[in-house]
Amino acid sequence: MWERLPQLVAYGLVSGSVITLGAIGLSLTYSILKFANFAHGDLMTTGAYIACGFLLLFRFLGVLGGRFGKLSFGPAMIPAFLLALAGTAILAILIDRLVYRRLRRARPVMRLMASVGVAFVLRNVILFSAGADPYYYSRKIQRAIYILGVKLKADQLFIIGLAAVLVVFLHLFLSYTKVGKAMRAMADNPELAQVTGINTERIIAWTWGIGAALAAAGGILAGIENKLITPELGWQALLPLFAAVILGGIGSPYGAMAGGMLIGMAEEVSTAFVSTAYKPAIAFGILVLMLILRPQGLFGRR
Amino acid sequence: MRLLEARDIHSGYGDMEVLHGVSVEVGKEEIVTIIGPNGAGKSTLLKTIFGLLRPHKGEISLDGREVTGFPPHVLVRLGMCYVPQVDNVFPSLTVQENLEMGAFVLRGDIKPRLERVYELFPLLRRRRRQRVGKMSGGERQMVAMGRALMLDPTILLLDEPTAALAPNLVENVFQSVKAIRDSGVAILIVEQNAKQSLAISDRGYVLVDGRNRFQGTGREILENEEIGKLFLGG
Repeated sequence: MWERLPQLVAYGLVSGSVITLGAIGLSLTYSILKFANFAHGDLMTTGAYIACGFLLLFRFLGVLGGRFGKLSFGPAMIPAFLLALAGTAILAILIDRLVYRRLRRARPVMRLMASVGVAFVLRNVILFSAGADPYYYSRKIQRAIYILGVKLKADQLFIIGLAAVLVVFLHLFLSYTKVGKAMRAMADNPELAQVTGINTERIIAWTWGIGAALAAAGGILAGIENKLITPELGWQALLPLFAAVILGGIGSPYGAMAGGMLIGMAEEVSTAFVSTAYKPAIAFGILVLMLILRPQGLFGRR
Repeated sequence: MRLLEARDIHSGYGDMEVLHGVSVEVGKEEIVTIIGPNGAGKSTLLKTIFGLLRPHKGEISLDGREVTGFPPHVLVRLGMCYVPQVDNVFPSLTVQENLEMGAFVLRGDIKPRLERVYELFPLLRRRRRQRVGKMSGGERQMVAMGRALMLDPTILLLDEPTAALAPNLVENVFQSVKAIRDSGVAILIVEQNAKQSLAISDRGYVLVDGRNRFQGTGREILENEEIGKLFLGG
């Protein structure tokens, strides 16, 4: 059983990468708008479908064909990926203007309920326009490569690498840019941010944009890993996302990164002991345990 | 002409009126202290002047310009900055990041402004990379005042800057207030430590039950027997 551990940890890194990208956005919007966004998983789905739409479009037009080395995708993925991130970011900002902006002064639970509504709308718009059948990112069989006795596909290495790059970018953004610092300031104390003269509406728009773009990236990487996407992709991801955010300490993007990796690992390593069908139960179990033992999270304060 | 004039201010929270016609004035480069018992409406007055509360009645002008009901983000551009009594720093940001946030509305190079604040508070320069959440109450107060000074205000509103500070730190805060005034900024303070605050003030006001009760120079208020008995602890 234990000899499989390195392999399972490697798989954990892959699924942890996807969870982390989703969890960061969830944590960012929580820290600034003070509500748990139940539509966040569906932003992942939206990103995955927009990218898929462009991939099909490029294939139809017969442009950007071919594949990158041992990866399952080729040059078409680059514009599809970037357009999906931008599209999802713009959509999230529009939803904020239409829905959440009216609820700025309402109790947080009102925003939470509104987000459940947004989640249903997003998922059903996707279901209505793309249908319930899965869409395939790729149908090709990939050979695994061996690194340090661990067997991984090129796609999986790409997922870990890209997630790491995005996380580093986010760190640099939060640490060194004026908007990033203002986002942290607003998470600390929104009233003081306003009194200081920070344009809080602009910072909120940035937060949605970045959170949604990272969610879209997570959705696309999930599509690459699973080969296929369904309208339920994000909704099913929501439980591990929340588990990751709460594990890391709600409202802390760095906690969300650690939480995402830990949940991914826990889910994969658990398959050495119990059936893979119990993966969601593992995430849920960690969520419940954390809420009982350490509700502020591993890295949370207070 | 006075720099800041608030005339006949009626204000409060919702339907509850706390101020029933209060007037205060602050001249250029003047330190003015407002004292009074708890519930007199001192903090309410500052919040109303800074646009956090809308007055039911009355007028506020800044440098001859009518600013009644202007929101805070407009007032900071017009040269009025405010330091709240509690939660007046961003704890997870470093000292320097807190100061940078104070200059958020500005474009361009803020280094000269940072330099000015660091000259007023040399300790903040040494600690500029430290997270403010790990600093003491007195140091946080310096960060809060430094942040408000980043916009180069003509007037600074301070809501009980020495509340919750150890007595030995109170004196430091008043030294800082004097230094800030000497750099050309007018200051309106609401204070519990009335004696020390009045001692460095040019003028002062006594508020009771949301009305002006007495006004005069800092010395006049300190030497007034009746006020001494009532509010300054004999």
